[in-house]
Amino acid sequence: MATATASKSTYGSSKKTKGQILVDWITTTDHKKIGYLYLITSFLYFLIGGVMALVIRAQLAAPGLEIVQTKEQYNQLFTMHGTIMLLMFATPLFAAFANILMPIQIGAPDVAFPRLNAIAYWFYFFGSFVAVAGFFTPQGAASFGWFAYAPLSNTTFSPGLGGDLWVFGLALSGFGTIMGGVNFITTVLTMRAPGMTMFRLPIFTWNTLVTSILVIMCFPPFAAALFALGADRRFDAHIFDPANGGPMLWQHLFWFFGHPEVYILALPFFGIVSEIFPVFSRKPIFGYKTLVYATIAIAALSMTVWAHHMYVTGSVLLPFFAFTTMLIAVPTGVKVFNWIGTLWKGSITFETPMLYSLGFLTTFIFGGLTGVILASPALDFHLSDSYFVVAHFHYVVFGTVVFAMFAGIYFWYPKMTGKMLNERLGKIQFWLLFVGFHVTFLIQHWLGVIGMPRRYATYLPEDGFTWMNQVSTVGSALLALSMIPFLWNVYITARKGEKTTLNDPWGYGRSLEWATGTPFPRHNFTSIPVIRSESPAFDLNHPESAAPEAKAAPKKKG
Amino acid sequence: MLKKLRSKWVVLPAVASVMLFLTGCSQQEFSRGFLPGVPGVTNHTDRITGLWTTSWIVLWGIGLIAWGLMFWAVVVYRRRKGETGLPPQLRYNNPIEVMFTVVPLIITIGFFAFTARDMAAIEQPTANPDVEIQVIAKQWSWDFNYVDENVYESGIQSQFDGETGSEAALPTLYLPVGKSVKVDLSARDVIHSFWVIDFLYKKDMFPGRTNYMYFTPQVEGTYKGKCAELCGEYHSMMLFNVKVVSQAEYDAQMQKLADAGNVGQLDTKYDRNQNLPGDNPEIRG
Repeated sequence: MATATASKSTYGSSKKTKGQILVDWITTTDHKKIGYLYLITSFLYFLIGGVMALVIRAQLAAPGLEIVQTKEQYNQLFTMHGTIMLLMFATPLFAAFANILMPIQIGAPDVAFPRLNAIAYWFYFFGSFVAVAGFFTPQGAASFGWFAYAPLSNTTFSPGLGGDLWVFGLALSGFGTIMGGVNFITTVLTMRAPGMTMFRLPIFTWNTLVTSILVIMCFPPFAAALFALGADRRFDAHIFDPANGGPMLWQHLFWFFGHPEVYILALPFFGIVSEIFPVFSRKPIFGYKTLVYATIAIAALSMTVWAHHMYVTGSVLLPFFAFTTMLIAVPTGVKVFNWIGTLWKGSITFETPMLYSLGFLTTFIFGGLTGVILASPALDFHLSDSYFVVAHFHYVVFGTVVFAMFAGIYFWYPKMTGKMLNERLGKIQFWLLFVGFHVTFLIQHWLGVIGMPRRYATYLPEDGFTWMNQVSTVGSALLALSMIPFLWNVYITARKGEKTTLNDPWGYGRSLEWATGTPFPRHNFTSIPVIRSESPAFDLNHPESAAPEAKAAPKKKG
Repeated sequence: MLKKLRSKWVVLPAVASVMLFLTGCSQQEFSRGFLPGVPGVTNHTDRITGLWTTSWIVLWGIGLIAWGLMFWAVVVYRRRKGETGLPPQLRYNNPIEVMFTVVPLIITIGFFAFTARDMAAIEQPTANPDVEIQVIAKQWSWDFNYVDENVYESGIQSQFDGETGSEAALPTLYLPVGKSVKVDLSARDVIHSFWVIDFLYKKDMFPGRTNYMYFTPQVEGTYKGKCAELCGEYHSMMLFNVKVVSQAEYDAQMQKLADAGNVGQLDTKYDRNQNLPGDNPEIRG
């Protein structure tokens, strides 16, 4: 056996030992492999954060429960749930999809700085591990909430080592995110294939570019703030000391990062569904340019709205932040109507990626409406820090990130692995997830309105919160169950899934990734089609319906 | 026939559950948009309720249009069995795109105008309040200084385990009905937030700084209050009551506090951030 393997392993052979595979993955600078590393790691964190959410929901199933031994442990759970879901799942998931797809969508062989790309991933990997490692310290992980308000986050009130690990772990991982942003911007600006003008970029690539610009604007202040907090904790620096207005300083710095961060999570996933709607409607994206301008407008406005998280502090200029916040609804609404315009008069089929994209749109519309409500300080005074806010941001963030993630995974799985995921299991999973999600979070709007504050480990029977919490807990169990068909689907596809070698297995793909081999060849392309519109693959495969500019161009031979 | 039957099976339970839901909640709850309390709890709540319900009506209108168009497109433009070819490759339509930019912009500006009017009214300081109260938050309870009567109550953290009846032991803030109130909000350690649920208003409490809220309670009763900003392990047990009572009952309660020896005002000496500008008379001098 050993000799047989040895004799086969000639230079260039695809058979590798387990050790070789491991070394290959650890040392890789290939954008696709780094993307897969991001995808796998962030999905694992999604599962870990999800288990924490289940414990949180179990604890709230009835008043006075003690599912977790102490309320301190409960605080650690929701702190790390938020931290993991935002900074170890959703943000790196952007890096995952951007890495895997963006270079191929612009016709490039790799990103501009492949080794920077690799170190960015490893910063994220070790930084996240450091932050989560707080659970292995005697006093447990950080417990001051994912926005770490001073002075609760200083050592007087949160003395544990978990807080230090949280601060420095996130700073390390944040540098990885910044490097990723720099890399993506450079790649989009300098490595586009001939003919790929800026207004022929696929929407996903546009959104990657805009998101990366947001990253390099808002992550550096956050890194600085984290180091300042770390200096307070380890070296008694008194930067966020209440004696000199530190609590408000921290809130400003944190939300100056924290609000654009929400759009860093949203925009790439808007990009994913913008790729999927046209393919399954068999129509080009409706209003390409307005969609791009809307993305830019959202990004620009998102840098001006941070203090809407601070309406109840009594020290921010309410009218300014209320107006800019409400204005964001306009470009967001434009996007929604552009997506509906793409469906309009199309020829729509409901493969799993499309189902998830429609699930996203249904959910996101409601998250947008509650966002408008929260933008009004007069209403936010009551709703701030209540379960209404929890419900709102789960509609927005879960609705966007998780629905679009599954849409994207099902959509590009054949390109990544050469095998299609099972459609039947995909649809079962979608309906479980969709129903589970809405049962969990819709009721939380009412919970917040009648007065349940967020981050409460328990509540009184007299509060009248009990039955609504129980509905929500049941929903969360359903939501968790929906992961089983997905994991089974991945497993069964790896074992028995049929191989596909079609360049475009969905039949109506538009951007460049559908014009190259399946799975992707080593340097992405053996040849690149003529690029005369934002849909070069579609122009190639459906010349009779190609974009006018592509029809006018000389036909490619063969 | 089979198709009709199937759609019936979807529509019937949906309609039934909506009906059940709507009849389950009372007319009054629904017309208040499920906000807690009764009309006129404070001089601000009716204004907030009005903005809330009007906003929701407009937003549901917009939402129903968006969902309606989406579901219409999904149903009507689905690819039929045996259908081949491609639909018209429409790429843009400038008038429609301008319309769905401008119309939301106008709605937004209108919403901002009403918001600006209402929040200015809510945040307007009362020049000469009838009653001034200092509320001081601490991990994990509340101190109340009745400034005019020179008495105080120092709350202790509540204890409860899922049984009913622990609300009576919570620290209770008394307010006379129909009198304008100014509340000075501050904290001894970390950030807290003062939320009386039925008053539909909360404000954060910072160490080293004082925030204010102004209102007139108009309906006698007992109201639930909760800390709304994460403040450490027992955040969820940092509860209090607000009792809005007649002037006579209020005076009796003040006398009771005085008789119990709670004369004077709780000052900054129990603050845990020792280097605060505590000598500043603006901050609980």
